[in-house]
Amino acid sequence: MTTSQPSTAAKPWDTPDAVPFMQIKNITKKFGSVVAVENVSLDVYKGEIFCLLGGSGCGKSTLLRMLSGFEVPTSGQIIIDGEDQAGVAPYDRQTNMMFQSYALFPHMTVEKNIAYGLKRDGLPKKEIATRVTDILSLVQMDGFATRKPHQLSGGQRQRVALARSLVKKPKLLMLDEPLGALDKKLREETQFELIKIQESLGVTFVVVTHDQEEAMTLSSRIGVMNKGEIVQVGTPHEIYEFPRNRFVADFIGSVNLFEGRIKEDGENHVVIASPEAGTDIYVPYAVSGVEGQQIAIAVRPEKMEISKADLGEMRNRTTGTVDEIAYMGNVSVYHVLLDSGKRVRVSQSNRTRSNEDAPTYGDRVNLGWAGRAGVVVTA
Amino acid sequence: MSQEETLNGKLPGGAFLGRALHRIGLRGRGLVIAIPVLWLFLFFLLPFLVVAKISLSEAAIARPPYLPLWNWDDGFLNITLNFGNYLFLFDDPLYLSAYIESVKIAAVSTVITLLVGYPMAYLIARAAPDTRNILLMLVILPFWTSFLLRVYAWIGFLKGNGIINNILMKIGLINEPLVMLQTDFAVYIGIVYTYLPFMILPLFANLVKLDQSYLEASADLGARPVTTFFTVTLPLSASGIIAGCMLVFIPAVGEFVIPALLGGPDTLMIGRVLWNEFFSNRDWPIASAVAIVMLVVLVIPIMLLRKAQAAEAEVQ
Ligand SMILES: Nc1ncnc2c1ncn2[C@@H]1O[C@H](COP(=O)(O)OP(=O)(O)OP(=O)(O)O)[C@@H](O)[C@H]1O
Ligand SMILES: [Mg+2]
Repeated sequence: MTTSQPSTAAKPWDTPDAVPFMQIKNITKKFGSVVAVENVSLDVYKGEIFCLLGGSGCGKSTLLRMLSGFEVPTSGQIIIDGEDQAGVAPYDRQTNMMFQSYALFPHMTVEKNIAYGLKRDGLPKKEIATRVTDILSLVQMDGFATRKPHQLSGGQRQRVALARSLVKKPKLLMLDEPLGALDKKLREETQFELIKIQESLGVTFVVVTHDQEEAMTLSSRIGVMNKGEIVQVGTPHEIYEFPRNRFVADFIGSVNLFEGRIKEDGENHVVIASPEAGTDIYVPYAVSGVEGQQIAIAVRPEKMEISKADLGEMRNRTTGTVDEIAYMGNVSVYHVLLDSGKRVRVSQSNRTRSNEDAPTYGDRVNLGWAGRAGVVVTA
Repeated sequence: MSQEETLNGKLPGGAFLGRALHRIGLRGRGLVIAIPVLWLFLFFLLPFLVVAKISLSEAAIARPPYLPLWNWDDGFLNITLNFGNYLFLFDDPLYLSAYIESVKIAAVSTVITLLVGYPMAYLIARAAPDTRNILLMLVILPFWTSFLLRVYAWIGFLKGNGIINNILMKIGLINEPLVMLQTDFAVYIGIVYTYLPFMILPLFANLVKLDQSYLEASADLGARPVTTFFTVTLPLSASGIIAGCMLVFIPAVGEFVIPALLGGPDTLMIGRVLWNEFFSNRDWPIASAVAIVMLVVLVIPIMLLRKAQAAEAEVQ
């Protein structure tokens, strides 16, 4: 997983008096009795790539559609660049959207599709022509100007859709699952291209995705959604390393969650009794909680060690049996069955081509992780 | 219909035909193709050839009222082709003006039908699914009554002391009854009324498929609803428009009943000319020539329709 740092060195979300470019205040959307979006509040700053991440049906598209004006919020307020968007029709908004289905006009050529928005603004023909040419070369689609959408591949269509939504230089560009139709390799390439384009044009992006790797790669910040609510907002690093609750920990990347109870609540450490882990887990920082409270520790697979030898130097240790090994090329993921019956995943990077000492199926192994490797999740 | 029933063996002769087809090696997939081919051969190509043949023969006072095309003379086959009927059609301005009049009336009614039908089809396609089915039912409902009866009912509306005139005079809008029956106006009303469902149904089928996201994309790019209609909705429904127009235009050109019942003496449509030649003058060759020329005139729009459908299939 690649975690790129936000393009802007400054972090406006950490600056108390920074004015958000877009403010969503207590937005709720109900379809009859279905609550698609529930009391969402969110600030997005200028120049950000903000990712809305969540499972299918959690309300991502609905939130985006409210921002573009296709759905009217049941309650709440949206402010973009200081303007309240209530009652502003989609065609009067300074935002553009790249649709989940691309929605390229099938009866128009690539050129006409891209020029469509500029024509609506009544720009002179010459300027339209130059801007279309420029944006086509930006998305590396020059030479395709006179094709119709059905004569393009999925990836090319996606580029045209991106170009069409970018060409108007909107204040805010919304992308709904922009890379969903691409294969993994093309998707990764395009992700970096998107970042480059975003940096060169300085447009603020709100990207919807259900692919957490994509969110990690693209975004300056991520908003994790679950059942219509935003459960955590933070940089990819914060979301990955400090998930606020079990849902986020589990949704982003893979994680081993050990349930337990606080056994010892010290000044600058806690000890958690976890029969599931088969050991008492030591955490070297204070946690707001009381003794006996139900709590969980999340440990990422790559932060655990696995060895047939003793792992005496590790703060937290347990034992188990290797049940399955998934070879992924760069890493191997071991599925270990603990004595408690819990399965955990441990990944080890494959530094050499073959390693005789590596554990194999059925081996008794020792697992260990440092005190700071685990993160306590209370909710 | 009877053809399929026959093959299913529902009629006494069906089993026999089925067995006969089986014997000549037609079964399974071959049979599936054979049925429509046989149908077209029996009910389209054969009659067409008969009419074409008659159009090339000479009229005579006989039974049937034309001379045979070929006869055997001393062991030689004599074929007499008579193109005079066709030449006659172009000689006599009556026919030419009847063709032009028919095409004109059909074209104008098609445009009116489109203008009336498009908004209806659009609204039906945009209605909630429950309402949509009811509205579609209402469009199809008139088919449950005889076409002749419905056209006849229009006489009651349009005649001098008909419903429309009575109402207009009651509310004092007019003093004298308007002459509406036996005019081209009445013919237009009749054609538009009768063929409206043929316009609405293909348009509806097209518009209901229209992806909402195109309209949203258009709005998102700054187009107002009216602009979106003309730049997106209308072009994307072109194939529906063409299909609807053909379904109205083609039968309207040859329409006989509506001009006969609602039209005046000077509403000269080709269907009526054909009727006169055939039944009044008993000139079967001329009548056949009239029919063949009409067919040729109509082949052009049919080819246009096919081309449009092929283009649409390509896009999808
Ligand atoms: N027009 C609508 N009428 C009724 N319910 C709707 C409508 N649109 C969305 N919903 C419901 O709202 C919820 C959120 O839908 P939404 O499309 O926002 O999900 P999503 O997060 O974009 O999912 P996906 O990742 O599958 O695109 C779903 O339960 C959906 O069924
Ligand atoms: Mg969605």
